[in-house]
Amino acid sequence: MSAQEKVKINKLPTGVPGLDEIVGGGLPEFSFNIIAGAPGSGKTTLAHQFVFANATAERPALYFTVLGESAIKMLRYQQQYTFFDPTKLPGAIRFINLSQVVLEKDLGVVLEEIAKEVEKANPAVVVVDSFRTMVRKPQSDMDLQSFIQRLALFLASWQATTFLIGEYAEDELRDNPIFTVADGLFWLRQTAERNSIVRKLQIVKLRGQDSVPGLHTFRITDSGVQAFSRTFGLTGHVRNQPSRRRLSFGIPELDKMLDGGVREGDSVLVAGSSGTGKSVLATQFIAEGIRQGEPGIVAVFEERPQAYAERAASLGLDLDAPQKDGKLAILYLRPLDLSVDETMHSILDAVQKIGAKRLVIDSLAGFEMALSPGFRADFRESLYRMIFALTGIGVTILSTVEVDESFTEFPFSTYSISFLTDDIIRLRYISIDGQLRKIMVVIKMRGGNHAKDIREYEITSKGVVILGERLISYQALISGLPVLSGRSNPQDEPPHRAEEKSPHVQTLE
Amino acid sequence: MTIHLKTQDLARRLLSYEAETGKFSESMESATLRVYEKLRQGLGAFAGVAAFESLASRALALAKPEAPSLGATQIAADGSIRGLGKFKSQIDNDKNQTGDDHGVILIARLLGLLFVFLGEALTLSLLRVQWPSTVFDDHS
Repeated sequence: MSAQEKVKINKLPTGVPGLDEIVGGGLPEFSFNIIAGAPGSGKTTLAHQFVFANATAERPALYFTVLGESAIKMLRYQQQYTFFDPTKLPGAIRFINLSQVVLEKDLGVVLEEIAKEVEKANPAVVVVDSFRTMVRKPQSDMDLQSFIQRLALFLASWQATTFLIGEYAEDELRDNPIFTVADGLFWLRQTAERNSIVRKLQIVKLRGQDSVPGLHTFRITDSGVQAFSRTFGLTGHVRNQPSRRRLSFGIPELDKMLDGGVREGDSVLVAGSSGTGKSVLATQFIAEGIRQGEPGIVAVFEERPQAYAERAASLGLDLDAPQKDGKLAILYLRPLDLSVDETMHSILDAVQKIGAKRLVIDSLAGFEMALSPGFRADFRESLYRMIFALTGIGVTILSTVEVDESFTEFPFSTYSISFLTDDIIRLRYISIDGQLRKIMVVIKMRGGNHAKDIREYEITSKGVVILGERLISYQALISGLPVLSGRSNPQDEPPHRAEEKSPHVQTLE
Repeated sequence: MTIHLKTQDLARRLLSYEAETGKFSESMESATLRVYEKLRQGLGAFAGVAAFESLASRALALAKPEAPSLGATQIAADGSIRGLGKFKSQIDNDKNQTGDDHGVILIARLLGLLFVFLGEALTLSLLRVQWPSTVFDDHS
């Protein structure tokens, strides 16, 4: 069969933000779908969003309610959502109660009743909520399977896209003949993990379309169900070609250490213990970007945006004006029950809105703590997906991470995420001459010939300032407890840059 | 305008419409019955007989203290109203109220419940299916 002869399946908008991408562009027209899940998992709300997105006066939606929640109560609550448009009722969306028929008659009569209403209204969408209550009536499986099969056949013939809503437990998924009939099976899960609720959505099957596999987190807000695809809405997006451009920190000496600056599209990790100036460095990176006309985003988890901007102001960096000008967004991501996918969605929205080129995540520890406990287990994997997706669209990411200061080790991160980063800048305290001073070293720079110098720096009213030349008078600087080497002339030392890694530094890859 | 005044005004409009569109001069209880039956048919199909019966019973319970002549009125299991005609004789004993008032009180109470549960906008959308939009003109 040639391509021209192939039937074209129209894709209908689901009305659920994020879900169209997950189902492969929209819901197949005339498909027969089941939305399954436990009570309170958002099944009815999801169906309502689809109905409100697709019903018209010419091709209305018929919403059959059976036993369970009455239409009055259902609508009382559903109209609280922003997608609810009361003017669509009862012209474009018609609720029909079948409780009496279900209670008093058999499934054959129920089918006749549905058929009668469908033939009368010529609907584009049909919902039966909840069809599971019909299932619980004593009858053989064959009766029910036959009913579902006839219903599916009838509604497809009448060119209706259908949703059956049912309450199902996880273990009922297997070997259920009803699910065999369905073209699409949407499974909504809601689990309590410690004190958090985690909601996940899975497209168990969807005939004829390439849906995004796996479990996708979703949230129910005033706007209804919002789904967060594991691909972050970037399905089919072609990765940007790596750039040769270097981005400045606004600290000339550090730029030199980085062989001219951070390569555009890199993921940079700034690691250090508390008070070493990670956030200061991150703020300078963002501020320099804005100065050079590169909009930026700062995702903060541990303090409010205003506090962040005030701290920047104390370093002479104005973050208020660029926020007003739309050049900077400081995102304070609600520190409760977040999923990485939701965070990513907020960041991507901001990236697209202001055309951001630089992103600061301050900090990874705060980010992790903001996640629901259930998502923390997947933090590394989620972070990998997030960094891959963002750098793929050309955003340069700088993440800060707090590491425990040790005088026997030189760790880069408590998360074992070094492999996720292209560049690592390590900050640490050292004890010299009865003072607690700070040093900085570029540990890693993928594809770049970075300096291997260890430089002392201070945090001043102008931010991070790198002092003098590299510290050649001491050995074992990265131990935090250096000893005098007796050398003082830099000319006696190895060259400023070298291809070899420092013997003091642990292997990263 | 409070919800109570709004629903009373709306009930009057519906009753007036039904009274005026009757083929011959009808008693007010007939108009009340017609409004009630339209609501029963529409809401019964929409929400189910049991849901309508519950609402109607609650409306009647709320209306009775304001309209003692509704004392003998009852709501059947299928949501239909019984004993509505009996209030005519009782009205004669209550010189302060007319049959109009009793019908308005009952229907207003039913509409009031719909306003409470569904909200004004959605209730009016549902009513517009059974009554022409002119009935709702200037209703706010």
